[in-house]
Amino acid sequence: MKKLGIAFGIMLFVFGGFTTHAQTADEIINTYITNIGGADKFRSLTGTKMEMNVNYQGMEIPVELVQLKGGKMYLKINFQGQEITQMAFDGTTAWSTNFMTMKAEKMESEMVENIKQEAGDYPDPLIDYKSKGYTAEYLGKETKEGTECYKIKLTKKPQMVDGQKVDNIVFYYFDTENNVPILTEAEIKSGPMKGQMSTTTMSDYQEVEGMYFPFSMNQGGQPMKIKKVTLNPTVDPSAFTFKE
Amino acid sequence: MKNILKLFLTVGLISYLPSQAQEEIILKGKELFGDLSARQIGPAIMSGRISDIANHPTNNKIIYIGAAGGGVWKSSDGGASFSPIFDKHIQSIGCVTVDPNNPDNTIWVGTGEPWTRNSVSIGDGIYKSTDGGLNWNNMGLPKSDRITSIIVDPRNSDVVWAGVLGALWGDSEDRGIYKTTDGGKTWNKTFYVDQTTGCADLVIDPSNPDIMYASFWEFRRTAWSFNSGGNNSALYKTIDGGKTWNKIHNGFPKGQLGRIAIGVAPSNSQILYAVLETEQDKDKGLYRSDDSGATWKHLNSDFELVVRPFYFSRITIDPRNPDILYKGGLRGSISRDGGKTFKPLGNMHADIHDITVDLHDSNRIYVATDGGLYRSWDSGNTLDIVKNLPLSQYYHLSLDNEEPYNIYGGLQDNGSWYGPSKSDGGIEARDWHSVGYGDGFRVLKHPTKKIIYSEMQGAENIWRYNLETKELKTIQPLAVKGDPKLRFNWNTPIVTGIHNPDRIYAGSQFVHVSDDMGQTWRKISGDLTTNDPTKTNTEKSGGLSVDNSGAENHCTIFTIAESPLNKEIIWAGTDDGNVQITKDGGKTWSNVTANLKGLPKNTWCYHIEASVFNEGTAYAVFDGHSKNDYATYVYKTSDFGKTWTSIATADIDGFARNIQEDYKNPNLLFLGTEKGLYITVDGGKNWSKFENNMPAVAIHYLDLHSKTNDLVMATHGRGIIILDDVSPLRQITPEILKKDVHFFEMKPFAIEEQSSFGGTASELEFVGPNPNTAAQIVYYLKKRHTFGKMEMEIQDLNGHKIASLIPGKQKGINIVTWNFNTKNPKIATAKTLSYGGFTSPRVPEGTYKVVLTKGNDTYTQEFKVVNDPKSVISAAERKKQAETTKMLFDKNEELAYMVYELDEMIALNKKIMEKDAKSAKSNGKIDSEFNSLKNTMVVTTGDMYVGAAEPQLREKLSAIYATVASQFDAPSPSQIANIENIMDQFNTAKSGFSDLKSKYKNKLVGQATKLQIPFALKSFEEYLKE
Repeated sequence: MKKLGIAFGIMLFVFGGFTTHAQTADEIINTYITNIGGADKFRSLTGTKMEMNVNYQGMEIPVELVQLKGGKMYLKINFQGQEITQMAFDGTTAWSTNFMTMKAEKMESEMVENIKQEAGDYPDPLIDYKSKGYTAEYLGKETKEGTECYKIKLTKKPQMVDGQKVDNIVFYYFDTENNVPILTEAEIKSGPMKGQMSTTTMSDYQEVEGMYFPFSMNQGGQPMKIKKVTLNPTVDPSAFTFKE
Repeated sequence: MKNILKLFLTVGLISYLPSQAQEEIILKGKELFGDLSARQIGPAIMSGRISDIANHPTNNKIIYIGAAGGGVWKSSDGGASFSPIFDKHIQSIGCVTVDPNNPDNTIWVGTGEPWTRNSVSIGDGIYKSTDGGLNWNNMGLPKSDRITSIIVDPRNSDVVWAGVLGALWGDSEDRGIYKTTDGGKTWNKTFYVDQTTGCADLVIDPSNPDIMYASFWEFRRTAWSFNSGGNNSALYKTIDGGKTWNKIHNGFPKGQLGRIAIGVAPSNSQILYAVLETEQDKDKGLYRSDDSGATWKHLNSDFELVVRPFYFSRITIDPRNPDILYKGGLRGSISRDGGKTFKPLGNMHADIHDITVDLHDSNRIYVATDGGLYRSWDSGNTLDIVKNLPLSQYYHLSLDNEEPYNIYGGLQDNGSWYGPSKSDGGIEARDWHSVGYGDGFRVLKHPTKKIIYSEMQGAENIWRYNLETKELKTIQPLAVKGDPKLRFNWNTPIVTGIHNPDRIYAGSQFVHVSDDMGQTWRKISGDLTTNDPTKTNTEKSGGLSVDNSGAENHCTIFTIAESPLNKEIIWAGTDDGNVQITKDGGKTWSNVTANLKGLPKNTWCYHIEASVFNEGTAYAVFDGHSKNDYATYVYKTSDFGKTWTSIATADIDGFARNIQEDYKNPNLLFLGTEKGLYITVDGGKNWSKFENNMPAVAIHYLDLHSKTNDLVMATHGRGIIILDDVSPLRQITPEILKKDVHFFEMKPFAIEEQSSFGGTASELEFVGPNPNTAAQIVYYLKKRHTFGKMEMEIQDLNGHKIASLIPGKQKGINIVTWNFNTKNPKIATAKTLSYGGFTSPRVPEGTYKVVLTKGNDTYTQEFKVVNDPKSVISAAERKKQAETTKMLFDKNEELAYMVYELDEMIALNKKIMEKDAKSAKSNGKIDSEFNSLKNTMVVTTGDMYVGAAEPQLREKLSAIYATVASQFDAPSPSQIANIENIMDQFNTAKSGFSDLKSKYKNKLVGQATKLQIPFALKSFEEYLKE
């Protein structure tokens, strides 16, 4: 085990000498951003399109997620040749499709405000997090996914839930070896799971034009596989807009 | 980044090389257990003991409770439902305190229950959360054992006082009042009485934080006695923020005092109430002071006020009216006249430990009982239990061989129950059956008959209950001529025979045996205990209040184990530390206690596990906590007890009560401790704590189901917890842990034929999850996969893909489930969705393989899928079902392609008409012909609910497909007739389509070419692939 430890130490040394001094949140976050391609590349993105498969009990459901700088986004599912916008935001209005009528319905204003508030999160909440008014704190090491991780607490702006202002905190776990997040946790704020933690895992980081994205995610037990990432996509602006 | 990746590979290689030389790779829990996760099945129907309630001071939607053995739970909906927030830490809770200065975020928890009954657990310090309970830090006081109260200075959150009652079973200098001025980083003991007397309550004057009141209590428990009271019990007051404390006894009787409850009226802090335990019965009960404690007046000695002070000692005063007060007790009581008279609270579970009143509405109260949390909207007249608190405190459990198997067990003050390990829609309150009163302990199913044995405390009754005839008979061994008084433990051992199913053993100081299900008993041993007369006089137990409940019966047999290999070999362990063995069915016994090196004398033998591998092998677990010894004692013998080896290591934190041996791998052992589950895969050289969905809860008993390989745990505070199918753990060896990827061998996966019905619980009721019935692909990864592709497929043996799965990537054990489904059919596009399109055909039974690709490496493993063994459906029927499903699947796809072609031609025709105005008339006719055909093929209007259009061919075809694909047997004659009918429609549509196509396709293509409109149809194969 000792020798293994030494090898580990060498590896850590190569990647910035983590073992030599106490970590700070900024060091971890900056190393991460450097590892995935550097802040400049991400800042210059105008948008991303992710084509993915959501795997539901072995059934693969094609999903397309488009996010643009500034917060516009849509998530489309393809069922039986029909494209259904499960959720979209055009900068002012957020909406979804009612599955009974297959018609667009506006989302509740509280939710819309929360989405607006995080419109600047694209492409990554951690990039320039301070200028977004967020704070990050290093909480120490913790084992997640069987792996030693740095735990970072990212405090975003409080959100409104059921008429009350609530904290908006995401815990990031950065694998100490690769210094990329492999898991995040956030408290569920409403519904029957309220008060419990929602967990997302990230893996299969792959390069797209010099930037790294996790191509596999599991959100609260729902696995997703990204097939293709298109950077700066051309998108029909009407795809984001609510249609009466 | 590319370079970095290369470096990863290189360094990865370096790190691999030295590991070759390693003898063994030791992995501890979080790196090993991965996706293996416990299943908490409750029940919550009887819930369990709650020691403290804390309401948020400004938001009445937020409530915290601390359970006696089930941790801390938080409600964010005004007490409608609760979630656990303290699972990583010890589950015995003394108090929860919300910081009044920062009530949304800062919460303090003092561990160790203050209600000191015989079965009470221990605490390990004080905890703090600064994020509303998401994360907790232990802030010290590790030897406090039980913290009764925490006060945060309303002027400064960094200033906190903690009242430490301390050790129950021994002297302790860690008792008293502690203060921190740096938010808990450091603590000073600011007031101390002596090593026998601890702080039972600490309250603050709501109008002047420099004034506090503290009650101190002299108390002690042993395994055989309890004492409440002494000359050091007293009520103190400080007026200088805790610097000096003075007794305030003016009006109290002289002599010894016991436990004292104290309360300050929030609306008038001059008014105090205290409940005293005194030497004379006439002096006991409620005292009131109207001058901040300067003088006291005795008001009342009602039963509810004086009953069992060690167990009930909480006064709650209405926040608005100082004359309305509640007192915890057997039923709990309320006074509306300042304590002169009381009436009991309404119907709920007995034994009331705490009561709180809502912030805004005095009619709304919350009550903590031995059987859960109750809410009332009329100040306690009518009460409603919170139904999602599975805090049940099991003492023991046993399993049967039904499918699904049932779990039998008894609980603290909540009788005996059995319920299933699996139920339609989840395991709900309705699934649990009551089979005993009082405190329940061991409940056993007769190995072959529909008969259940259960018992209540001290074998006051052992019942034999016939589930079929409903015959209920009391069968405990009774004293016969010449017998001394039979001493039965509070938790009396009863065991059914392995070799003779009608046999039942029971232990007093003797081993009793019945071979006729309890009709006649004979003793097969002498007194196997130390029979120490100083430990067998329980009549005087209790101290100032006699408490002879039987809970302190001592010098009794506590565990009996029959060897599964030889019926003549029986082990018995006693609560006063003896281990005895007979090898001749009870004719002669050997006391092998002296051979247990390193075990302190008289340490309670909690469990003996007779090995399935070897007659001479057994495990014994000893629990010294009732002698104030919290060390772990686990021993193994291989020679009938002549020599013993300790297999407890420093990995284990706290005392243990039970051990379970695996049936296949002698090195795989499970240990139940006061702080959770530990597992060893190397015979006890290394132990790992198991924490996946497994709270750090006291485990009183463990059993391993021989068919399912499920480890079932009786926890004392979180109900029954199951670790489903532990068989992967059997296979772990150092060699496997060295491999990059290792698939575990799994037994064949059965495609279970199960109901999709069930589920009657509201969202506020606890429902225990069912085991996963899908195929579970279990593999070990040496390293977490983070960069690059890693994918998984199920294939048939010829390598044809059946399903894509998304694999887990964590280091350690990963489990990926597959529900035996193949690909779902491609369904014709229409106005609405067809549910049939979400139905996939199942694979037939047979051998399949899982293929995992990770970077350039491929790993495969074959596995078997079998039909449900309990199914009566024949192979021929299954074949017919599969063929029909396939036929209908194909027809759905064929129709989908026709509709695609038709849609493409309709679109093309539209473009032609748009570009060439002259074509409008003739092509308009084509359009209407196309559309009238399409209208028979799919719905083109309507919605997915009550606005749905009349179903057309697609809807009918997909509906019958979904029905047949979902069933297991052959299509019925009725279904076949329906299929024929739909096939007629299909053929009509097909020929209609074919006619139109031959009539118009070439024409349209010709027009399009002239107009330069591109047109290309995908082939059927291309269409299916897209």
